[in-house]
Amino acid sequence: MSTTTTTTPRKRGVVERLSKSWLYIGLIGIGLVSFVRIVTDTDDLTAAGTIRAAIIATCPILAAALGGLWAERAGVVNIGLEGQMILGTWGAAFFTYHYGPWVGIAGAALLGLVGGLLHAVATVTFGVDHIVSGVAINLIGAGTATYLAEAIFPEYEGGGPRQLNGLEAPTQITIPGVSDLANTIADKHWFFVSDIASFIQALTTNISTLSLLVFALVVVSAVVLWRTSFGLRLRSCGENPQAAETLGVNVYFYKYVAVLISGALAGIGGGFLALVASSGFSTGQTGGRGYIGLAAMIFGNWRPGGLLAGALTFGYTDSLRLRDTQSVHSLLLLVALGLLAFAALRAYRRQVRGAVAVTIAGLAVLAWFLSTDSVPREFTVMTPYVTTLFVLALGAQRLRMPAADGETYRKGSAG
Amino acid sequence: MRRLTKLSAVAAVAALTLAGCGGSDSEGGGGDKPAASDDVCKTADGDGPKIGLAYDVGGRGDQSFNDSAYAGLEKAVDEFDATCIEGEATDGEAESAREDRLRNMAENDATAIVGVGFAYSESVNAVAPDFPEVNFAVIDGFDPDEEANDNVAYLGFAEEQGSFLVGVAAATKSQTGTIGFVGGVNNELIQKFEAGYAAGAKAAKPDIKVEVAYIQESDLKGFGDPAGGKAAAAGEFDKGADVVYHAAGGSGSGVFDAAVEAGEGNFAIGVDSDQYLTATAAQKPFILTSMLKRVDTATFDFAKSIDEGKPLVSYKVYDLKADGVGYSTANSVIEELTADIDGYKDKIISGEIEVPTKP
Repeated sequence: MSTTTTTTPRKRGVVERLSKSWLYIGLIGIGLVSFVRIVTDTDDLTAAGTIRAAIIATCPILAAALGGLWAERAGVVNIGLEGQMILGTWGAAFFTYHYGPWVGIAGAALLGLVGGLLHAVATVTFGVDHIVSGVAINLIGAGTATYLAEAIFPEYEGGGPRQLNGLEAPTQITIPGVSDLANTIADKHWFFVSDIASFIQALTTNISTLSLLVFALVVVSAVVLWRTSFGLRLRSCGENPQAAETLGVNVYFYKYVAVLISGALAGIGGGFLALVASSGFSTGQTGGRGYIGLAAMIFGNWRPGGLLAGALTFGYTDSLRLRDTQSVHSLLLLVALGLLAFAALRAYRRQVRGAVAVTIAGLAVLAWFLSTDSVPREFTVMTPYVTTLFVLALGAQRLRMPAADGETYRKGSAG
Repeated sequence: MRRLTKLSAVAAVAALTLAGCGGSDSEGGGGDKPAASDDVCKTADGDGPKIGLAYDVGGRGDQSFNDSAYAGLEKAVDEFDATCIEGEATDGEAESAREDRLRNMAENDATAIVGVGFAYSESVNAVAPDFPEVNFAVIDGFDPDEEANDNVAYLGFAEEQGSFLVGVAAATKSQTGTIGFVGGVNNELIQKFEAGYAAGAKAAKPDIKVEVAYIQESDLKGFGDPAGGKAAAAGEFDKGADVVYHAAGGSGSGVFDAAVEAGEGNFAIGVDSDQYLTATAAQKPFILTSMLKRVDTATFDFAKSIDEGKPLVSYKVYDLKADGVGYSTANSVIEELTADIDGYKDKIISGEIEVPTKP
């Protein structure tokens, strides 16, 4: 990814303004998807059902990614997200069974927090290598959850040593008038309008309050981390803890808080899997979503917007390929058009080499789309991974992690 | 630095211990767990054959495949005064771990060892020649090389025949003319389910449409992903299917959830064991039937052959005729269809209908 800075400041400003306005990008994106939907005649691309499934598939990854964001912004690499998530699934099951779904979510957060505490004690207080501790937490999380399930769940109604089914889900919201109206419009399959209507329908029909909560947490995290002095201090611990300490910031405290919140968020992600994405706990149900969240966060450039884009892309493409393998073929056209549009932007910025490279890639995908009728099944599973990588690699070309991320900090080392 | 090393060592040891408690061989640790207390292998002390049962991922308590094998074992212990040892695979373990588990059992004097699940095929093939006096069996297994092992039995099932019957049920029950299938992993074994199901549906209603989805193409985690199962099944219900059959192991509970959300008039079909019996109260009315795969029969049969001194070897297929597969009638909704289904069943047994094994 070469980026040359030959453009004059004035032109750059225009492009920056354009590319920064998410509204435009969103609208162009929806227009593009709508166009592809009509050309390829795959209504599933923007069907309300697909979007609903995409939201559900996104949330656990998003929660884990947010967890990663909090920890890494404070300079602690948390690859224990997966383990904390697994603990969260168990916590959600246990507390929901006894006290209902909302206490269950709190329980999921609590169990995740315990995982976070372990990680914080190991990495912050004792200076254990972050990766070593993270791997240990993944093993501990999986082992503990399996052990606790075997020890406790068999006696419960709907339970067994490996699962606890029939958990009560958090409230679902439907806005009657809007939902029906949107449904009517969506069914007309008009260009653009029906796609927007599908979105509205998915957002107003049986949407889980927990989904809304997870999306709200992205905004809350962004505000707290970037708009408060608390957030500034926390991030300073991830950029330059020595400097932070000389300014009187209690580095250990902030790192602890960040890692605890990180674990709790991952736990909530696990709780979502057990309560909303399915109706019960089963061992191994996280299936690596913690790692995917971590990857979404990294490719999202350690920014809330970026990780949201990553999680959404992954969730959308994953549910798309699950629902309809044929639609993956239509996705090729979408990727091709996206690449060509991006190449045009590159050309506008006079980044010739980049523009040529992306154009060639775009044309190659377009040729693939035109010359085939379907994507081989073996490839469809990779769709979410490849697409997410594509989108985020193009979106953020220069990744910059917090400067002191993953480094062990000892109190007083500022000298 | 020294403290760091010590701590990571402690963390690693703690991790291993806990991971050990969670899964793997039940011979070590965790004996006071309530689940383990009703484990027949803990109390059996007869002088019959010693049977080793190596579970697949999921292990005892999966309310499906592995539990069915355990049921067969329990019966064998009961009838032949057998004793037993158990072991369980963990997700993503190395091939050598499976071999070690089998070797461990053989060295602990097991005379009959059953690997539950096709994933044991390779490891049994590697271990069996070293223990010529021990008899092995692999449920759903196959011989991976040319050389035949004379102490290994491959116990297969005619899943396509059982799937054919539930396909008939699905097509007959369907009002919309569209039915669905959700497979856990797109491999040859699960394709047998799909092929039989589609053939049965077409036999009952030639113009039926069958939507097919697989959660994973090759990654075995597709059998333990309820969220993925729910998304795949919801997609099929959205496309107009009103009966969805799953062959997705633990992901199946997500398929049942999807049927519940699709509402009245929609159904799901279970697999391997009678899933109506283990489903939650909310799911029960939506479970039309289950394709039964009698792993318990096969396990018991193998133990019996050992007890009689005429151990099973080579391939054996448990089909409709041998009562190795079938369908459940636990939900009364199925009653109006049983005459139809049993008609097809007789035709399959008599050979009049030949069920395909590939879609």
